[in-house]
Amino acid sequence: MNWYNVKLILFREVRDQLRDRRTLFMIAVLPILLYPLLGMSFFQIAQFVRDEPTKVLVIGAPRAEGLPPLVEGTRFAQKIFHDTKLLIVDAADDKPAQGGPAPTDAARSAAARRAVQSGRYDAALWFPTNFVSRLDAFRATIRRRAASMGETARPERRSPAGSALPAVAPVPEVPSPELVYNTASDKSQIAYARLSEALRHWTGAVGRTNLEAGGLPLFAAEPFELATADVADSARGRGLAVWAKLLPVLLLIWALTGAFYPAIDLCAGEKERGTLETLLCSPAERSEIVVGKLLTIILFSMITAVMNLVSVAMTGGMLLGKLPGFGPPPLSAAIWLPLALLPVSALFGALSLALAAFARSTKEGQYYLMPLLLITMPLAVLSTTPGMELTLGNSLIPVTGVVLLLRCLLEGNYWPAVQYAAPVIAVTLGGCLLAIRWAVDQFNSESVLFRESERLDFGLWVRHLLRDREATPTVAGAIFCAVVILLVRFFMGSALPIPENFRGFALLTLVTQLVVVLTPALLMTIMLTNSPRQTLLWRMPPWKTVPAALALAVAIHPVANWLQGVVNHLYPLGDEVKSVLDKFFHESPSLWQLVLLVGIMPAICEELAFRGFVLSGFRHVGHKWRAIVYSALFFGMTHTIFQQSLIASLLGVVLGLLAVQTGSLLPCVIFHMLHNSLAVVASRVVPQLTGYCPPLKRLVVMGSDGDYAYHWPVVLVGAVLTGLILWWFNRLPYPKSPEERLQDAIDRGGAA
Amino acid sequence: MIQVHGLTKHYADLKRGKLVALDGVSFQAGPGEIYGLLGPNGAGKTTALRILSTVLRPTAGTAKISGLDVVTQPSLVRHRIGFVSANTAVYDRMTAWEMVEYFGRLHGIPDRQLADRMEQVFTRLQMNDIRDLLGTKMSTGMRQKVSIARAIVHDPPVLIFDEATAGLDVLVARALLRTVAELRDHGKCILFSTHIMREAEKLCDRVAIVHRGKILAEGCLEQLRDEHHEHDLEELFFQLISRHDEAHPGEAVAHGSDVL
Repeated sequence: MNWYNVKLILFREVRDQLRDRRTLFMIAVLPILLYPLLGMSFFQIAQFVRDEPTKVLVIGAPRAEGLPPLVEGTRFAQKIFHDTKLLIVDAADDKPAQGGPAPTDAARSAAARRAVQSGRYDAALWFPTNFVSRLDAFRATIRRRAASMGETARPERRSPAGSALPAVAPVPEVPSPELVYNTASDKSQIAYARLSEALRHWTGAVGRTNLEAGGLPLFAAEPFELATADVADSARGRGLAVWAKLLPVLLLIWALTGAFYPAIDLCAGEKERGTLETLLCSPAERSEIVVGKLLTIILFSMITAVMNLVSVAMTGGMLLGKLPGFGPPPLSAAIWLPLALLPVSALFGALSLALAAFARSTKEGQYYLMPLLLITMPLAVLSTTPGMELTLGNSLIPVTGVVLLLRCLLEGNYWPAVQYAAPVIAVTLGGCLLAIRWAVDQFNSESVLFRESERLDFGLWVRHLLRDREATPTVAGAIFCAVVILLVRFFMGSALPIPENFRGFALLTLVTQLVVVLTPALLMTIMLTNSPRQTLLWRMPPWKTVPAALALAVAIHPVANWLQGVVNHLYPLGDEVKSVLDKFFHESPSLWQLVLLVGIMPAICEELAFRGFVLSGFRHVGHKWRAIVYSALFFGMTHTIFQQSLIASLLGVVLGLLAVQTGSLLPCVIFHMLHNSLAVVASRVVPQLTGYCPPLKRLVVMGSDGDYAYHWPVVLVGAVLTGLILWWFNRLPYPKSPEERLQDAIDRGGAA
Repeated sequence: MIQVHGLTKHYADLKRGKLVALDGVSFQAGPGEIYGLLGPNGAGKTTALRILSTVLRPTAGTAKISGLDVVTQPSLVRHRIGFVSANTAVYDRMTAWEMVEYFGRLHGIPDRQLADRMEQVFTRLQMNDIRDLLGTKMSTGMRQKVSIARAIVHDPPVLIFDEATAGLDVLVARALLRTVAELRDHGKCILFSTHIMREAEKLCDRVAIVHRGKILAEGCLEQLRDEHHEHDLEELFFQLISRHDEAHPGEAVAHGSDVL
């Protein structure tokens, strides 16, 4: 790659973007205006809500001697509601006219409900007709009791049956006033809150007069107050928690938005304006064009995110900082956010670039933003759900891991951040590399660059697939097959119960292998290719490769065992999974059944699917190792237990190499069979053998729970032998795909 | 200079399956020569020229420019060609000077040499008054001039013009043809595709009549006229095409005429 050209392209694209008013608006004007405006309007609305008076109807407000006043004119009494102008009171006087019927509770209740339902009042409060009289009776009873029981008597609201004081007269019940409001209206809820506060004060005042009437001191009703303590580091701590949740999500949203719009302009826009072909026939290589454009997109993504974050921090610091319990964003954000921004922008930049390269026009490109947002945003917001913390599992979820890591750093929890930084960075970088590769592939694909608009017709498309078959499947066919296997396996796993005995386990394995793995691969081979023989590598390999595959399986056995141990140590298996696995491996009726089930069956089915159909499809990418790695990743993913997936992916690479170098599936099946069988047999036999033959103990370390591991010299010898045999395989001349031959020719041509 | 042998290009089409855009096209062109590809719309001219400019890859056959293979040595080929087509537009947000300079730099011309060369090119194409004009403000004629300046700034031995006069008015088109003729006189090997007979007659030293991805006739104009006993090139062209269509009625379906 010529970095001078990359620099030229980068500078040109940046200048081009800066001359585009839309870009400038997006990265500079919008953030500078948006947040201050948002902040101001938020405060104004809040202020408005706080100052807006609400209108309430009070029916039958009690007025009596000795009762604290509730309503004075059109306001509540100053004593019970301090900001009286916020509650406008209409006191309905429903005293009957001379000779008219007396008001009833039902009529009052209906009137109150009508008043609120019709929207004339935000809330209504009605007092039962006998409220005052009953309250008076209540107070009279208390007064009498106090007199008869002396100073120590305690007034009781009711005298329960069987009480120790049967002689005391029962205290009459006071009917409840009713507050009518409407939760469907925000204003009514505000009125409700204000009204209940006023009533609480009034009830308190009434209570105090009662105490006085009973001759009790006022503090008898409230002998103590509840004290509270918040261990968050005062206002700063609470603000920090909010910032730590908010800033990383904002960072992601703006990094993505800032990447996407320039990406569309730089790819789909250039296609539309016809300048892409001008650039493609210039001396710049495709990879230089992609990298130049990608760097531009990353740059704009970062600038957009930084501008927005700075604006948020300033607005937030100025406006929200005044709120109690809030402070400006932490200073550490200035270090961690920019640091995390680069990989995040690179990931989104490459994804946007690949999508934008696929789009024919800017309009079409904009349609692709939605799916990208729909996938990314839940991943980002997932991290803000309560209880979501940085753990190993979470750190492996693409976008979520980054957000959680950032949150830890901003909160100052450095230990989990240090612990899980490696997986988060690895996942993000891996995603980045794959996305960049995808973008480069898009630029190398003439069917993408010169895509004509085709009418959308599923029938035509299926007919095209069946009619225009090639000898081996296409890359898309390979991905489709692997995804079908993954999806069916996932849905079957969640639909079926965990088997309880060996029979159930055997059945599940059989169905998985035959129906989920083998059937889609065979069906697609028949339907989508016209040479099943070539697709499934149905030919005899050079004879030497068969013993070599057998030897490789034996040599790799202690290495795989050691690796599995390392993986299990790093990411311990859940107890439930472990016990289920142990049960099946140790309780199977006979060893040969287990070998048949775990050793031979998967070897045949998985090899036909992954080294047969899937790898043959991936061979069209034009590079042997990339094809091997892609197929191995899919192979790993189909192993539902994460700890198994890691090892399976590595073994997938070995198996892929065998398939490519020998051009035959036979060595793969033999290796896979022997490898799986060895693992199963050894877990059963090794512990017994060490009992019979003590010298074996020098080779094997027995674990406490029946596990075993090989001593390091055994692992070392295994590793060296594995390396040698793989080196030998890699040197074999192998049948190349047309794309690989073309790539070789281009490499030779470029070198010349 | 240009050697094309058995060039074939297939496209996959959902409805019709395999489309043959080019079917074993072979020709050669040397320095100081304008070689015309004459054919109706959708004959496969653009596909052939896109393969020569390394933007597309052929399904079969070889194409070499100055002895360099377009498939295996695309980067070296691109250094030796200048490609102007209706599909190679100029940048909207760049001035004429910036655009030509950008491509000159991509070709690796040292700055001082590039400045001299650009002065030369701008003077020759009479572009000095649009130096600082942004692409978006240019007329079609101005844009075409910038495209030519962009294609010749690195002084390539081979120039490819694909329907370069499309959309130009008579004055600008005439000026362009004059420029092409001058470039030939400077010893360039020029491949010129068009569907306008007059242009071919005026400009081309040799022509190939292309139809449905095949070359129906090839040679210098005099030779073609003598061979087919037809003086009028347009008439000759029409006869060849009708004769071919009558002889191969099934081809229209297999050839992607209306796709390209």
